Amino acid sequence: MAEFEPVLSRNWNVTDGHTLKVYESRGGYQAARKALTTLDPDKVVGIVKDSELRGRGGAGFPCGLKWSFLPKDRKETFMCVNGDESEPATFNNRILIEKDPHQFIEGILIACFATKANTAYVYLRVEYFHAYKVLEAAVAEARAAGHLGKNIYGSGFDLDIWLHRGAGAYICGEETGLIESLEGKRGWPRIKPPFPAIEGAFRKPTVVNNVETLCCVPHIIERGAEWFKSIGTPKSYGPKLYCVSGHVNKQVCVELPLGITCRELIDKHAGGVWKNRKAKAAVPGGISMGLLSAEELDTPLDFESLRKPGCLGLGTAAVTVMDEHTPIIDYLYNCARFFAHESCGQCTPCREGTGWLYKMLKRIKAGGGRLEDLDIMANMANNMGIMPGTTICGLADGAAWPIKNGVAKFRAELEEYIKTHQDPAYGATTLQAAIAKGAYAVPHNGLPPVINSVPTAGALRSPHSA
Amino acid sequence: MATIIINGQEHTLPEGEKLNAIQMAKRVGVDIPYYCWHPALSVVANCRMCEIEVGSKDPKTGEIKMIPKLVPGCQTPAKDLTVIVTDSAKVKEHQRMIMEFLLINHPLDCPVCDQAGECGLQDYSYEYGQSNHRFIEERIVNPRKDVSSAIQLNQDRCIMCTRCVRFTREISQTGELQVMNRGNHAEIDVFPGHPVDNPLAGNVVDLCPVGALLDKDFLHKQRAWFLSKHDSVCTRCSTGCNISAEENRGQLWRFKPRFNPQVNDYWICDEGRYSYKAANDPALLSAMYLRQNNDLQPAPIDQALKTVGETLGRIAAAGDITAGVLSPFLTVEEAYLMASYIKGLNAANILALGPVPTQGHDRTFTPDQVKGRNGDTSFIVPRPFTIHAEKCPNRKGVEAILEHFQGEVITWGDFEGRAALGDFKAAYVASDAIDPWIDNERAASLRSKVEYLVVQDTTVTPLAERADVVLAGATFAEKAGCYVNANGRLQYSEAALPPRDGSLPDLDVFAILLHRAGGPVRSQEILAELAEAVPAFRAVAGGRVPEFGVSITEPARVGVAPFPFNDPWNESRVQVGAKNA
Repeated sequence: MAEFEPVLSRNWNVTDGHTLKVYESRGGYQAARKALTTLDPDKVVGIVKDSELRGRGGAGFPCGLKWSFLPKDRKETFMCVNGDESEPATFNNRILIEKDPHQFIEGILIACFATKANTAYVYLRVEYFHAYKVLEAAVAEARAAGHLGKNIYGSGFDLDIWLHRGAGAYICGEETGLIESLEGKRGWPRIKPPFPAIEGAFRKPTVVNNVETLCCVPHIIERGAEWFKSIGTPKSYGPKLYCVSGHVNKQVCVELPLGITCRELIDKHAGGVWKNRKAKAAVPGGISMGLLSAEELDTPLDFESLRKPGCLGLGTAAVTVMDEHTPIIDYLYNCARFFAHESCGQCTPCREGTGWLYKMLKRIKAGGGRLEDLDIMANMANNMGIMPGTTICGLADGAAWPIKNGVAKFRAELEEYIKTHQDPAYGATTLQAAIAKGAYAVPHNGLPPVINSVPTAGALRSPHSA
Repeated sequence: MATIIINGQEHTLPEGEKLNAIQMAKRVGVDIPYYCWHPALSVVANCRMCEIEVGSKDPKTGEIKMIPKLVPGCQTPAKDLTVIVTDSAKVKEHQRMIMEFLLINHPLDCPVCDQAGECGLQDYSYEYGQSNHRFIEERIVNPRKDVSSAIQLNQDRCIMCTRCVRFTREISQTGELQVMNRGNHAEIDVFPGHPVDNPLAGNVVDLCPVGALLDKDFLHKQRAWFLSKHDSVCTRCSTGCNISAEENRGQLWRFKPRFNPQVNDYWICDEGRYSYKAANDPALLSAMYLRQNNDLQPAPIDQALKTVGETLGRIAAAGDITAGVLSPFLTVEEAYLMASYIKGLNAANILALGPVPTQGHDRTFTPDQVKGRNGDTSFIVPRPFTIHAEKCPNRKGVEAILEHFQGEVITWGDFEGRAALGDFKAAYVASDAIDPWIDNERAASLRSKVEYLVVQDTTVTPLAERADVVLAGATFAEKAGCYVNANGRLQYSEAALPPRDGSLPDLDVFAILLHRAGGPVRSQEILAELAEAVPAFRAVAGGRVPEFGVSITEPARVGVAPFPFNDPWNESRVQVGAKNA
């Protein structure tokens, strides 16, 4: 592979890189000018489609394909940019906006031109106050300089960008949750179909793209789809911002071609595991993607390869490293607590399941664990989410994956923890345990139980099962 | 025509009908359990109870391709060549999982819960649930709270189906109920100072599939299984909402709405809902009275009727005029018999329409599909619901009969004017109105202008106090018969209560006065006679009234009639044991 040239992060270390002057002096807005004045929208969609750019937000859906789902006879289109970057340990969007807001605006401009959207909403996470300030100033600059507004570059294309700040909900990063929230409603993901491309924000065709995805677009227009496809691995092309955090010497956000291995990322770019310890496990892309054990660290971090070790996917490519001193139970407990807190409460399996997992892990951590709890956790984790089809959105999958991977890959450690951490104060009472087994406690008077007989192991009574 | 394959069997769906998988399965006798879906509300697919396996059949090769994951039935349209599997191990396992999840924080307090007996959690636990309970953590305890002066919310019983929230947003469009908090702390609540007090508020109680929202009026009064349900029609206004009048031990306990797509859909207003109380009033007339020595004395029924018949006969024989007043609270059968009787005495006798009570303005709630959440809302037919200002059930029906008998309708005002001129020797006023309808002054002035006054009513009114004969008639709950609503739709209402002691249903009163042979009359016989005699009522020939009534003046609401669908836990169901036998 030829020497990799970072493009997304090329202005990060330039003085005043966030200003229009510096951005323009480094060739900024040339791609947008080229697209708006020499190409037609369908051509732009075609180029992006050819580049096989996949969404950087988590699911990795091909961006050009998403744009082509918009109905041909639409009158009005909205662009929603998902800047609600709430996945724990992920911060690439924040740096992209803070350090190079004009690259982002140029990306929005080209994407809106391609999708014929005259209004773009940037949904920003509320905690990103500095990013909001920077972006607000950049939008004002761009508008004053004619990069936004009416009849941009004389092409007859109009575009306005509105910044919208969320209110701190993880679920508003789900595209339909984001749209609901943008409309001023409770951030509850919508059922699909209809997909946002058909009926999205304000019931109009809508495109929802991630910040990083749009930042890739100007470079694709400028350098062509072939250039983009020369970077990365098959089916996962292009540069990607990797965030590394946790027990490493240097927590970084670094631009690398897709498909770099987790180990290379940790050792070469993040300075290795701290305190000369060994890595025990790593989160490959935000905690909802699951867990890589130490043996699996050579997995390439791209959209396809992570399925093999049982992870959900690349996610946001935010790697969190845990050293060998980290108890897995703590990791699972924190994950469960996060998802129980962030579940929107709409679908039964997620609402009740995340809460149950959290309470169960809390009990285990406190010393009330039972070995069968691990089976219950695995069983629940296997039945939650859009993968088994039991929820509307993917939050439940995200909640299930750490548990699923954790129980499968670190079962021995968890069993050891349960056996060695027993505190009667936190355990189940005899009655609770008996009911949980489907049995009832034998009364003290020695008579047979009065309620009903003990079902056979795992028997689930239903009139239909007879 | 569409072919839908349910559990391996092919079924057909006629052209133009839009059903989802739940409705389609129900039509062919297959139950798909659900909670959050409701035929008149937007689809949110959040309870996940109705998940089934869905696929499609290739029309050419006949190959069946299934979607690998489970799909909510509420969200699945029954299109041509849709394959639905509801009885696979995967589906059953999923249903058990959902039941387990729904019950982990449920207090299981059925013995003190009003919903017991008509509860979706109970029914589905039995049919689709499991008997063990793996959850040993601490439950969320959520105290009872009031969402209005009439409705209480037992949040710990709630399963967060959000039916009530969608109702207040989409149907009543008042939006009082909200979901607050997130995850398993999510709960239904109102904002302080904004209780659920819209005119349709009580419907949220009916919509609630569990015992979370409860009507304080009914709270802890009766168990659902003690109540006998009678298919009745609300008489509180001229909408004529279909209701189920629920009775036990000779007393009405509540009204619940009954589905009629042509009239009220699934709803009733609170005014109608609580109008049942009038039928339990201890002050209802409990005997017939005759004026003796200038005082009204209780009299046996036969004696009172004999006196009326003889006196009115004598007046007619003398060539004097008797005026009959038919209130809009009479059924069409009663009105027909009364008109026949008065006109039969003397063809010159006059028939007038009783006072038509009105209150405020008509209020229409038009469901707005756009206001619902996104998603396929094509199953919802937006049907408006109107609360009429006209607070009587049968003005149109009585008018049609009056027009037939004398070619014109004499209003109550005209009648009073003519009475004041001394046009009438006698008056026979049949009322049965719910509210007080005449004041002392007008009663006295009417009394002074007629020599003989018969009042047939259910309560003691100023006019009854001044009458020569007081006949105790039937309340709305005690009479069976038909009403014609504001849109000209004739509907049959079943009697929910037997006649009170000392009273006689109005229909029998007129039958006796007419010397009809054959004992107590059935309203169906009279309706059949009426249909033959009065052309306006041709639509009910033979006295047969279709399930959703029949329009006698205007065409029915256009479009395909929606598939009648009721929540299974609200239906009187065959016992599960019997089903298995």
